[in-house]
This record gives sequence, structure tokens and C-alpha cells, in this order.
Amino acid sequence: MGELGLPLPMLAAGAGHIGEQLIALGGAFLAAGLLARAGRRIGLPTIPFFIIAGIIFGPNTPGVVLVEDPETLALLASLGLVLLLFHLGLEFSLGEFTSGGAPLIKAGFIYLALNVGGGVAFGFALGWGTAEALVIAGAVGISSSAIVTKVLIELRRLANPETRMILGIVVVEDIFLALYLAVLAPFLNPDAGGLEAFLLFLRAFGFLLLLFAIARFGAKWVGKLLDTPDPELLVVLFLGLAVLVAGTSEELGVSDAIGAFMVGLIVAETAVKHRVEELVLPIRDAFAAVFFFWFGLSISPDGLAAVALPVAAAVVLSLILNPAAGIIVAKVNGLGRVAAVNIGTTVLSRGEFSIIIAALAASAGLDERITPFVALYVLILAIVSPLLASKSKRVAKILPKRWFPRPSGAAGSTAR
Amino acid sequence: MQLDIEVQDLPGIGKRYEVHGEHGGRVAVVIHNTGRRDVYAFDGGKGADPDAEDDDAQAVVEFSDQQARKLGAILGGAYFKPSVVEEIEAVIDDLLIEWVTLDDNSPLVGHSLTGLDVRQKTGMTIVAIVRDRHAITMPEADEVLEGGDRLVVVGVRKDFKAFQELIGEAGDLG
Repeated sequence: MGELGLPLPMLAAGAGHIGEQLIALGGAFLAAGLLARAGRRIGLPTIPFFIIAGIIFGPNTPGVVLVEDPETLALLASLGLVLLLFHLGLEFSLGEFTSGGAPLIKAGFIYLALNVGGGVAFGFALGWGTAEALVIAGAVGISSSAIVTKVLIELRRLANPETRMILGIVVVEDIFLALYLAVLAPFLNPDAGGLEAFLLFLRAFGFLLLLFAIARFGAKWVGKLLDTPDPELLVVLFLGLAVLVAGTSEELGVSDAIGAFMVGLIVAETAVKHRVEELVLPIRDAFAAVFFFWFGLSISPDGLAAVALPVAAAVVLSLILNPAAGIIVAKVNGLGRVAAVNIGTTVLSRGEFSIIIAALAASAGLDERITPFVALYVLILAIVSPLLASKSKRVAKILPKRWFPRPSGAAGSTAR
Repeated sequence: MQLDIEVQDLPGIGKRYEVHGEHGGRVAVVIHNTGRRDVYAFDGGKGADPDAEDDDAQAVVEFSDQQARKLGAILGGAYFKPSVVEEIEAVIDDLLIEWVTLDDNSPLVGHSLTGLDVRQKTGMTIVAIVRDRHAITMPEADEVLEGGDRLVVVGVRKDFKAFQELIGEAGDLG
């Protein structure tokens, strides 16, 4: 608490007094919520503001310090991470993936090839290490489902033809994220050597297969375990299952994130799926906010300044690769230049997935610059992407019209 | 006229239904998994900008689940049926069950059912009156009709024309 700070020593929580911890948690919720509400007024997504609240009210900036030691919130924050991925698994359906058909899957692959490919090259070019390069590739290459969906709804583009392409890309990215977390697992174990890393990969893979098998063949029994007409009991039971499997996964060297995703997949196959979907949302939103706030706590202005150049380079790279993917997808599907820009600028948003990957890297003890790097990168793109997407008509004027030969007449009446 | 409704999945959001208008234009209805409904209108007629490059909707209205149901009922004619449409109603073989709304100028307004002698004059029977959202089934003979009453009538199809003339609706039918 410096001279600039308010004389509120009781706000700074250490371990011990439960009152202090409650004040820290309540303050975190309120600070994050109020800041994000201000952001929503001007049409910006919530995630960057949750992180900014963590930075402002964390120990690394002057002013009010709500949480002195990020460890205080670590358990609740990881509950947020577990619920984010549990919900992702729950919502995930292979039917949605295949119903859109080849064009959507192709769009997803074009996007990933460019962005994760570019991310890998960029990660290695930074020279922070192999594991670090893979982490950065994932953080730079994968869009934020949450922000993309919100942007589409708020810009009222749900009925546009390119929107299906955008959602197709996001669905493919969701699957990719799950697989990528599995691939990353051995790299995130700092002690592993060559053979050991391979064995760890096998163990992680085996555990994943087991969970897949349960999702495919054992969902009935899981359904029996959870099913109760009482919503109160259902909440308690599915939370218990999700957190237990996430913890077990973490202990087995698969991350808690992917364990939670797999439980989500399993519950999605049961009869209680739709009820759980409804019940999990408010809890997920609450603890996800804690997760993002907690992520901001460990970030200092100095740390951000130190990675400003690499972040600027990554932002420029994304500002090239995302519209490039948008243009290719639009051309392949016979869409116009505004549609191309809509695709490119909407999927440009980065948020929860980048933060999740960075948090896993931090807990594995990788290069300390990853956390501020991903934080700054996400802060910039989570704000730039919705702004650009809302101005897509003007942005589209940069592209030559002749790149997009279209049938004449109003776009809306001809496009499907 | 295109009666096909196009349905598409919107992964993570819900489903989208598209209906084309009779003279161009189309409406897309997005049903969110949360129950929210969005109605997107695309102008295909004079209002559409021929130079428009984007596919953004000209108007979007958001409805809650309850409001959407109400709108659906309005579109379905549950609140008011234009007289042209009323002709095509439930017909069971030759038996016709029909409902009509009396406007304030109808010659029937202010008269009791006995005085009107509807059955004798037209062959149709008034089996119910819906007034202020309240149904009067098997109305008594002294029931006086008011403007805005919705009459549920039963009879054979060929008699319905005479009934329409009696209530002063015939002139409205184009």
C-alpha cells in the first residue's frame, strides 16, 4: 500500500482471516463486474476488462490492492477454468461439426493452417524455447468462441451467409484446442526428458482414450450417477464429477483443463445434458470472471512493457493472417469482400482459450514472459477485433473489388 | 411464391429459419439455445440498395420466448383474422365452423339474438360469443351483441354467404 493507495489495509488479503479473503473475493467480483459493465456500454467484450481489473487491483500496481497474493484466489480461479472447459465439452457436438458439411470444416482448416502455422513460426522466431513456442502458437492461433459469438449477436449478423463460415471456423478451433491441450501436456512437464516425455504423452493419450470410451459407451451409467429431478442435487453432483475428473487429470499429467473438457463431452451424451447446460451457465460465468481477474493479478506494468515489442509483432501477424484466412474462405465460398472482412475481423478476437493456454504454461513454470505476453496480446485483440468487425464495411474498401467476382444485384437477395 | 423454409444450424447459438416473402425480401428467424428469438428482415424490394455489398439485415428485432409466442399467435391469426382469410376455415365435409368479428358499424350491433333471428334468416347458428377475451358459450336469446364481439358460428357452407350479408360484411369482401 503506497502513498498513492487508499488507507485500506484490511482490503489486502493474506492467508488466514476468512473475512479478509471474503473481502478480497467480493471486491474482485465487483471490480471486475463494474469495469466490464463500463466496457459493455461501448460494445466491448467482458474478458479484457476482467483482466484489467485484476491488474489494477492486484499487487503490481499502485492504488487499492484487493488481493496481495494471487495464491489466495488460485483454487476458485481454477474452478473457473474447469467450468469454462466443462461447458465447452458440454456444448460440443459432433453433429454440429458434420451437419455444416465440408465447406465449414474446410474453412476451419484453412484458418488453423494459417494462424496456428504462423503462430508456430512466430513462437520459434521469438527463441524463448520449444515448449514456449508451442504455447504461443496456441495462444496466437485460436479465436475466442465467447467473443466471436457475442460480436455476431451484437452486430446482428446471425442471418448473414458468412456467419455460418465463422461459426464453422470456431467449432473446428474448439476441437483443435482440445487436441492441442493433449499434445501440449508432455511439453508442460518441465522434468520430462525424451523417453519420459513420450511415456507421459502415452499416459495422457491413454487417459483421454479412456474418457472418450466412457463418453461413447458408458454415458448411460454416468447419466444414472447424475440423474435426479432435483436441480439442487444435480448441480452438486455434476460439479463434483467435473472437478474430481479435472483434478485426477491434472495428477496424471493431463491438464485439468482437458479433463474438464472430457467430462463435459461425457455429460453431453447423457439425458441430463440440457438441464446441466442451463444450470452450469451462471456458475461458469461467475468463476470464469474470477479466473480472468486472477490471471490479471500476476501481471505488472513493467512486465507488459518488457514484452511490448514481441506483442506488437504478434498483433501485426494476426492482423495479416486473420483477414488473409477470411479472404480465402470468402473466395472459396463465393462470398463478397465485406463478408471476407467480416470473417477476418470477427475470428481475430482472442480471449479465454489464449488465457487458458497461458495459465497452463505459467503453472508448468515455463518462461515468465508468456503471461504478460498473452495478456497484452489478448487485451489488444479482444478490443480491436469487435471494433474492426463493426466497421467492416469501411475496412472492406481497402480490398480490390475485382478479387471477389459476384453476381450483380443486391448481395442479400442472391447470397445463400 | 416460395413456401420452403430453410433451416440451418448455428453451432453454439441455435437454429436459423428463413422464409421468403411473396414479392421479394425475406425474413430470418434465429432461435437461440437460450430461448431468445431474433427476427431479421431483408428488404428485397425497392428499399434494397442495389450497390450494397454486405448481407446485413435492414431490421432486426429481438424477442423473449414469451413475446415470440405472442407474435407467432398474431401471425397465425389467433387475435384477428382478415375477412378474406376467414372464408377458408375449418370445414368438416359440408359443416363449417367459422368465426367473425363484428365491427362497430355492423347492423347486428345493439340487437338481441331473438330479435335478429339469425338461424331462421341464414341457416347459421351462433354457438358462442367471445367478448373482451371472455367466452359466452351457448348464448341466451336475450344476449345483446356489441361491436368487437367475435361470433363463432356453425352451419353448412352455402349458408355462410347469407350470414355475411346479414352482419354487413359482404361489402368488405373484395
